[in-house]
Amino acid sequence: MREGAYFFAHERQRIGEMKTLATPLGLAGPGSRSTTERSGAQFFDRRVAGVALSVALAYYLGAKIGFALTFQPHPVSVLWPPNSILLAALLLTPVRVWWVILLAAFPAHLAVQLQSNVPPMMILCWFISNACEALIGAGCVRYLIDRPVRFDRLRNVGIFCFFAAFLAPLLSSFLDSAFVAINRFGQDSYWQVWRIRFTSNILASLTLVPFIVTWSGDGIAWLGKIRRARILEAGLLLIGLLSINTIVFYKLAPTADSALLYLPLPFLIWAAVRFGSRGASAAICALTLLAIWSAGHGYGPFSTRSAEENALSIQMFLIVMSVPLLLLAGVIEERSKGETTLREREERISLAAESANLAFWSINFERRESWMSDKGRAIFNFGPDEHLSRELFLSRVHPEDRNAVGEAIERARASSQTFEFEYRLLRPDGGTRWLISRGRYLSNDRGGIRELIGVAIDITAQVEADLQLRLQREEMARMSRVSSMGELTASLAHELNQPLTAIASNAAAGRRLLAEGTPDLEMFEELLADVSSDARRAGDIIHGIHHFVRKSEGRRCPVNLNEIVQEVLRLLHSDLLGRATAVETQLAPNLPAVDANPVQLQQVLLNLLTNSLEAMQSTPIGRRRIVISTKCDDTSSVLVSVCDSGGGLPKEDLDKVFTHFYSTKPNGMGMGLTIVRSIVEAHGGKLNAENSDEGARFFFRLPVKPKSETPEVT
Amino acid sequence: MVDDDESVRRALGRLLKSAGYAAETFASAEDYLAREIFEGPICLVLDVRMPGLKGPALQEALEEHGACEQIVFITGHGDVPTATRAMKKGAVDFLTKPFDDEELIEAVKRALERSKEQLRKRRERREARRRIEKLTPREFEVLSFVVMGLLNKQIAAELHTAEKTIKVHRGRVMRKLGATSVPDLVHFSQRAGVSPARKPA
Repeated sequence: MREGAYFFAHERQRIGEMKTLATPLGLAGPGSRSTTERSGAQFFDRRVAGVALSVALAYYLGAKIGFALTFQPHPVSVLWPPNSILLAALLLTPVRVWWVILLAAFPAHLAVQLQSNVPPMMILCWFISNACEALIGAGCVRYLIDRPVRFDRLRNVGIFCFFAAFLAPLLSSFLDSAFVAINRFGQDSYWQVWRIRFTSNILASLTLVPFIVTWSGDGIAWLGKIRRARILEAGLLLIGLLSINTIVFYKLAPTADSALLYLPLPFLIWAAVRFGSRGASAAICALTLLAIWSAGHGYGPFSTRSAEENALSIQMFLIVMSVPLLLLAGVIEERSKGETTLREREERISLAAESANLAFWSINFERRESWMSDKGRAIFNFGPDEHLSRELFLSRVHPEDRNAVGEAIERARASSQTFEFEYRLLRPDGGTRWLISRGRYLSNDRGGIRELIGVAIDITAQVEADLQLRLQREEMARMSRVSSMGELTASLAHELNQPLTAIASNAAAGRRLLAEGTPDLEMFEELLADVSSDARRAGDIIHGIHHFVRKSEGRRCPVNLNEIVQEVLRLLHSDLLGRATAVETQLAPNLPAVDANPVQLQQVLLNLLTNSLEAMQSTPIGRRRIVISTKCDDTSSVLVSVCDSGGGLPKEDLDKVFTHFYSTKPNGMGMGLTIVRSIVEAHGGKLNAENSDEGARFFFRLPVKPKSETPEVT
Repeated sequence: MVDDDESVRRALGRLLKSAGYAAETFASAEDYLAREIFEGPICLVLDVRMPGLKGPALQEALEEHGACEQIVFITGHGDVPTATRAMKKGAVDFLTKPFDDEELIEAVKRALERSKEQLRKRRERREARRRIEKLTPREFEVLSFVVMGLLNKQIAAELHTAEKTIKVHRGRVMRKLGATSVPDLVHFSQRAGVSPARKPA
């Protein structure tokens, strides 16, 4: 050992020299400026030195233990730890420092072997074969498993068992036996040497490597983290395992029933199930050491036959016990890790669901299970343990949407496909929420339906914003209709006021001149000519309304008057509410289309309705009522009527309503109905007024668009 | 009267003539501004909406020049904000077409009276200024102090001179301005726009 330490110190010096050489090649060396390179240098200086020192130490001690566990009188090593220690060291360290590990192990090897009078050549050969075994095992495992090597997955344990614990001893043992044969060391045949080395190395790899790998590193830290109850459990397990091992392998007579050998098994399984790979490897290690020590000292069931036979059978027993336990521990850890991952994912999903107003849900038909995220249960107002079903779901859907949603689900189920639908939820407080549901039927191996999964999104805010936007747009449309009407009347008023002022002033001037009694006849003639030309001018302006209407006509298209009625009622919605007026519509179904300008027809109806509303200003609030009806009483025209309860028109004025400047309103210009009539007449229709029981009724007919006409012709 | 509509112009001209006024018509505000100056009371019957310079704009332009025209607005469609603004700026009336002839003639009558009154005031003011300009600077100083209500003794102290001298100045001022008493003098100064105890610029 002292020799080894000396050699190691010497070695360090050499490493230092090599580093200096390596620097120009881009490898880590002292004096490098970047932090990574400096840490690399430190790694070489401290950690690698520490690891190398402990490997050398462990190798030496391992060899001593190996010698201690030989079966006398013929020295057969049942368990040879140094190779496993080397393998474990390679598995735990980066590949670039492997050569340091191997170099560190060599003096330890030398120190051990020199004590047992082995020729130097043989010592060297053994080191080579041992190093080969460790390199093969660690190389394969490292290649197949991403760092760090852990025994927490079935795949990892399988790879380790096959490549490191089986293949590496198998291959290196050929080399080892060949070296023994070439050096003519000992009396055993080639195959005897091969078999002894093979089995002892398998056992060592299986028992020691997992123990070292799982407990070095964070193993100790893990002990500090576990709860007190677990420590108590571990203590109980340890006591139980040690005592049962002692009973089976030490106290039991060699002739006892061999079935009793399996007594430690429950404890081993306990260790694997409850403590994973760490527990299993520790338990296997304890079992192995105790069993071999007892057999080596002539106790227990493996002490009855010759040393070789005893060794082989104890090796076989321990190998057969270890492999399944390691695999079991791997499976257990993999599953618990999978559960943790799943739980974390579920938590993440539910967080996402909460923040995005999402409801995740699933219904498993085979297991009769259902699940829904907490947020979802809140949205749908389901109890925390309520089982999900279509009936329960439909009971929350707004009655008006229930049929459609039910059909959509049925369709999706029939075709086993993805579905999506929008619907309303009726909340217990009477409020409604808008939702979109997306779902998918998952089928099982037999083509039946296994599961239904889905997500529901609360889109109420979005829908309400859309609605708000639509209302605003409608209000704007209404304003523009009303203001274009207002502009029309204002401009007409201005136009008409000029000739009227002139006529009135001329008349007044004439009267004054006559009163003065000095009528200038020439002047009178001029005056009267002016009056008649101004009167003509006023008439022309009135006729110009037709022209005006036609000018703002735009394109005509087939129009459904029922739709126009609905639109105008929407535009006037707030006015109707504000004036507490009830509106009844009697719209004929299947109304034929008329060829018209929809905007102008809207103006007509707006005007008639506004007239009705104004006529009912003095009507008591409960009796304000407008009836709008559409009718198709013959095939050639459509009749629209607006009926109010505003008391009606004065009887003598019925025929004057549509003449210009007729107004029953104190500030009315008397132009609205004139324009309405102009529009109706421009569309080839006729506007009429009559008195009904309670008020006035305005109605107009528009010709139906002939079916044979194509839109291009019109 | 100013209106862009010819028949309105003719009819209103006729109406005003029949009421005994000398009516002159213009087709635009620009035409009116380009007319020969008439030294006498003027009522301007003005249309609000016209191509080019609008009625209210002409009103502002005339006010800037300190003209004596009094305005009666006429408009095809009277909107309250325009009417309010016009009245605030001193219009006599704001009539919406078509209006009653009596209404217009009444407004014109009021406007001419107001215009006459304004002309009279202006003439007086001009006369007062003309006379004040004849005063020497010393006499003007004395006038300012007299208008302030100071006694001869006080004025003498103020101007570091003898009371007798002030008496003489005061007598000259009275004579030059044609005033017979102190209140007369104060009234005269106010008409001329002379503020007490301040020298003219």
